[in-house]
Amino acid sequence: MSPRRVLAFTKRTLLQFRHDRRTLAFVLAMPLLMVALFGYTFGGEVKGVKVQVLNADVGMFAPVNFTLPLNLEVNVGNGIVANLNYETLTISNVTDAAAARQDVDKGVVWAAIIIPEGFTRDIATALLNQSAPRPSIEVYIDGSNPNIAAAVFKSVNTALAAALQEAVSAIGGRNASLPASVEPVYAYGGGDTKFVDYFAPGVISFAIMMVTTMITIILFVNERKNGTLQRLMASPASEWEIVTGYALAFGLIGLVQSVVILTAAMLLFNIQIVGNVVLALAVIMLIAFGHQGLGILMSAGAKNELQAVQFVPLILFPSVLLAGLFWPVESIPAYLQPLAYLIPLRYGIDAERSIMLRGWGVGEVWLDLAVLVGFAALTLCASALLLKRRR
Amino acid sequence: MSEKQGREDAVIVEGLSKHFGKVKALDNLSIRVPAGEVYGLLGPNGSGKTTAIKIACGLLRQTSGRVELFGQSRPDKKVLAQVGYMPQETAVYMDNTVHENLALFGQLYGLDRERFARREAEVLRFVDLSGWRGALASNLSGGMRHRLSLACSLVHEPRLIFLDEPTVGVDPELRAAFWEYFREIANRGVTVVITTHYMDEASHCFRVGLLRQGRLVAEGAPEQLKRSTGAASLEDAFLAYARGDGQ
Repeated sequence: MSPRRVLAFTKRTLLQFRHDRRTLAFVLAMPLLMVALFGYTFGGEVKGVKVQVLNADVGMFAPVNFTLPLNLEVNVGNGIVANLNYETLTISNVTDAAAARQDVDKGVVWAAIIIPEGFTRDIATALLNQSAPRPSIEVYIDGSNPNIAAAVFKSVNTALAAALQEAVSAIGGRNASLPASVEPVYAYGGGDTKFVDYFAPGVISFAIMMVTTMITIILFVNERKNGTLQRLMASPASEWEIVTGYALAFGLIGLVQSVVILTAAMLLFNIQIVGNVVLALAVIMLIAFGHQGLGILMSAGAKNELQAVQFVPLILFPSVLLAGLFWPVESIPAYLQPLAYLIPLRYGIDAERSIMLRGWGVGEVWLDLAVLVGFAALTLCASALLLKRRR
Repeated sequence: MSEKQGREDAVIVEGLSKHFGKVKALDNLSIRVPAGEVYGLLGPNGSGKTTAIKIACGLLRQTSGRVELFGQSRPDKKVLAQVGYMPQETAVYMDNTVHENLALFGQLYGLDRERFARREAEVLRFVDLSGWRGALASNLSGGMRHRLSLACSLVHEPRLIFLDEPTVGVDPELRAAFWEYFREIANRGVTVVITTHYMDEASHCFRVGLLRQGRLVAEGAPEQLKRSTGAASLEDAFLAYARGDGQ
């Protein structure tokens, strides 16, 4: 293999991008747009979620005690309503539980928060008697958007804890463990990790994959259609030199892309990169190498650009849905999971997430790396052999 | 004539056949082209000219038969470095400049910087594109792109050139210049194999082979073919051979 010829291909390809400004803009802007779009859609604070609150709690008088004012009334329900996050939630008070549930069903509001009549009294009973049933607040919620659902639950849980604490200290007690709960409680969200942190590594990997695969398919379809590939094959250049030259070009393009995206993600969304940035970039280059090979292989199945574009949904949807871009592979149906493990992007996303969020190093993500290296070697070798076979 | 017999054969094709499924694109084709000759492969579309050239350049594999370039039976990289190939399609990179296209092929064929600079100026002058060095191929006219394509196949000073329809879309003045150039480099020992379906042009070739349905129906110097059929033009001579009343 002659490095000079390899670099000749690399140089030509890069120069092509320099002249074709629009494609260059696409290469850099599309991933950026994706991060921005996903970031603002999922990542920002959830605000102004419409909910209805029905507070039926009648409260109770504090037990007669000479340290407390006479006829001290305690109402945990009122405390909860006061402590709800009025930025997250836009609250309207209602009195009819059935109507409130109907409004949720109809999509008028996201949730109905229903505090039962004897809530304070039941809490008092539960505090004194461990075996008494634990009272609960009903949150009747439209769970179609997990982000919103999580925000609502978080707000109600926080308000409940605060109201209870207030009530306990009002009657001169100390910290009390929560004898009440919010039903149903979704085990979702919480903590300080923003959703944007979770999916940013995935979106970056995904964007690199899409751009690399698409552009490679189209470039190679054009090479075949225009006859330039024949000209290359009639030259002393070998198939390996052609493939390596292109791989270098796309590796470099992927590198520039990912630097741009990472910088934008850090500036726009305050994404924390805990791990090694160089390792994160190396993984991105591996993703680019492998999908470039895939693009060359796919180009053999397309006669023109129109046919090439038809490959887009074929690679887009499995990657979006199965590769763990938005939700973990474990949460997709069991019978689809084996399929997910066949998608190379999954390993890229997994590695990027582990490196960027968990701060893992080569020692922990070696399996992902091995799969990506194997994938790249396989597709690049296969594409060189494919070019050879055409000879 | 004795000088010519002493020269080696640049191209030897023997019993070459190529089948695409049931279609016989080439049927037992045998041709010898001595070094320093301008040889024209003539024939209507679909007669097998392009297939023959692609096999010779190693782009297609023959069904049977033998091709030798400079005595090498399989086109290896060393031989290919001395061969130029201009495909029928305008095979240039549209999103690269004239210079970048030439530079790619210069580097692929191992030209050093100095030699490339000299050759680039030469071929650009020859194809009349000297003022367009920095222009994108996509901004050139069809004829200009075709000339650029020719320049790309000549930049490394090949000893043997296969040109597939090089004069399509080239205006008459430049076409005459092309033929003059091909004869000139042939006199310097370069072998030129050209396909064309313009019969009148073929009179510029030293010898022509008439292809029909993958078979060589006649071969010889253009004047000789005209004489033996009593035809006024090469086109009439071809028609005579196609009918089967030639010798």
